[in-house]
Amino acid sequence: MQRDDKAGDAEATIEVEGLERIYPGGLRAVDGVDLAVAAGEIYGFLGPNGAGKSTTVRILTTLLRPTGGLARVAGYDVVKQASQVRRSIGVALQEAALDPLMTGRELLQLQGALHGLRRPESKLRATELLERVDLVVAADRLLNTYSGGMRRRLDLAMALVHRPSVLFLDEPTTGLDPVSRSSLWSELRKLNDEGTTIFLTTQYLEEAEQLADRVGIIDHGKIVAEGTPQELGRLVGEPGLYVKLIDEGQSENARELLAVHGAVSDRAAGGLTIRTALGARAIAPIVRTLDEAQIEVDAVEVEEPTLDDVFLAVTGHRAEEGSEEDVA
Amino acid sequence: MSSFAMERDLATQGRVITALAERALRVQLRRAQFLLPSFLLPLLLLAVIASGTSAAQQLPGFPSTGSYVGFVVSGTIMQGTLLAGLMAGIAIAGDIEGGFFDRLLSAPVHRASIVLGRVLGTALIGVAQAILFLSVALALGADFKGGVIGVLLTIMLAALSASAAAGLGATIALRTGSLSLMQNLFPFVFVLLFTAPAFFPRALLNPVLETISVVNPLSYVVEGMRGALFDSAALGSVWAGFAAGIGSVVLTCTLAVWAMRSRVRS
Repeated sequence: MQRDDKAGDAEATIEVEGLERIYPGGLRAVDGVDLAVAAGEIYGFLGPNGAGKSTTVRILTTLLRPTGGLARVAGYDVVKQASQVRRSIGVALQEAALDPLMTGRELLQLQGALHGLRRPESKLRATELLERVDLVVAADRLLNTYSGGMRRRLDLAMALVHRPSVLFLDEPTTGLDPVSRSSLWSELRKLNDEGTTIFLTTQYLEEAEQLADRVGIIDHGKIVAEGTPQELGRLVGEPGLYVKLIDEGQSENARELLAVHGAVSDRAAGGLTIRTALGARAIAPIVRTLDEAQIEVDAVEVEEPTLDDVFLAVTGHRAEEGSEEDVA
Repeated sequence: MSSFAMERDLATQGRVITALAERALRVQLRRAQFLLPSFLLPLLLLAVIASGTSAAQQLPGFPSTGSYVGFVVSGTIMQGTLLAGLMAGIAIAGDIEGGFFDRLLSAPVHRASIVLGRVLGTALIGVAQAILFLSVALALGADFKGGVIGVLLTIMLAALSASAAAGLGATIALRTGSLSLMQNLFPFVFVLLFTAPAFFPRALLNPVLETISVVNPLSYVVEGMRGALFDSAALGSVWAGFAAGIGSVVLTCTLAVWAMRSRVRS
């Protein structure tokens, strides 16, 4: 889903220049980050654990002070006008930090009070949001009975209590099953259609592709690539098609025949990968070629580039997940 | 800031403090591991004292309060409020470790309101503890000469004691952010308690404890409770109790707000 028409044509809602955060002890978690997010845009911030994603989000949401550079959110400086920034943003941080001994409704009402809503207003808004995220039935149950997907939906609802113009989501779908993930994506698209600017960190390229207008990739505290998901995907090179044969013994023959469609490489158990600029459009000709040679095909799949592939392409090294703890 | 904007801001912060106090109260009362030390443990001690140690009253220098339970219930209230304060610190450390604290910090609320919400919630727990412990003491034969006024003053001192303990718990939790450290502070509650005349009059403490009790503000609060309950200046000055209680609340809450600012800055 590409909506880059929105990027760059509106005033920047998030502006970051030379942002730095050096922790006591010298660890440079954010090292000169520059970025601009236009109003109404969804910006995906990608990187492995320890790259500096969460530290950047904590600075932009006023939870941590930068040690250098400037950052403005919704027109306010995150250091000098922190209170105004907090009034303008909704925040759903990693791991959906929710009190397990409170109910969904109580948490929403508390969040309403924290944002200055009076009690009746807060109750009404909680009911609206519970309906919006489909948690009406579970509203009065303690959080320790909620599933991961329900907690994430409630977390999102809490971030929306005061109708923020900018939403920060730190790895909103990590650990969710595909159904919950897809439901959350659809809610985020709806919010964006209503005009909310979304800044989203993720480890999943697929998530960025599904949601983001533009993506920034961060590694060791620096932005190493930025563009639309399609532009970043293209950095990996031509898309791959994985072909699995029923008879492994025919792979040598298939390899010679398929060379006319692109560069062929061997995979385990009689599988082949064909890299071709046509991508999924090459499936039909490939199957036809094999069919004419009476080579039976078990499966053909488009191989989507992963964050790891993009990382390798832009940094020259693989994303070493978990090799360095994210500091914040 | 105009006076209207200031009033509006104060009203908003008032709502924030009330909502956070409500949350503190509700969650603490839902947590069994909180109810046990804060309510049951002091009650158990009170029951043991009532049944087996009343001979302490026969010691020379022990003031006349009718029954030993009547004398010692102020110490029981103090024990309960100190443990409630420690539980407040544990709850804050849990919020920090679990990430809920970031949610509070990312909202447009004054840092002091976050501390005061927790302190107010704990003060209300202190009130509940005082009412419960005084009722049990009455049932066990205590006779409070200070009447209703004395009981009300004692409940207010209990609220101050719980608030000061919550401020101290919050300070340590915000400085360290460590749940396990907070959970290991239980013995220090008893150090504070036994370096104040909680279960014995100051004159019967050994010289070292008696010297320490002079600088322990809890001494004046517990004696103030006794002075109020028995309407006796000889047992303790109510005003000194309030002065020590209010002073402790101001000091510990200031330290807690300072600890929070320092945590956010780092």
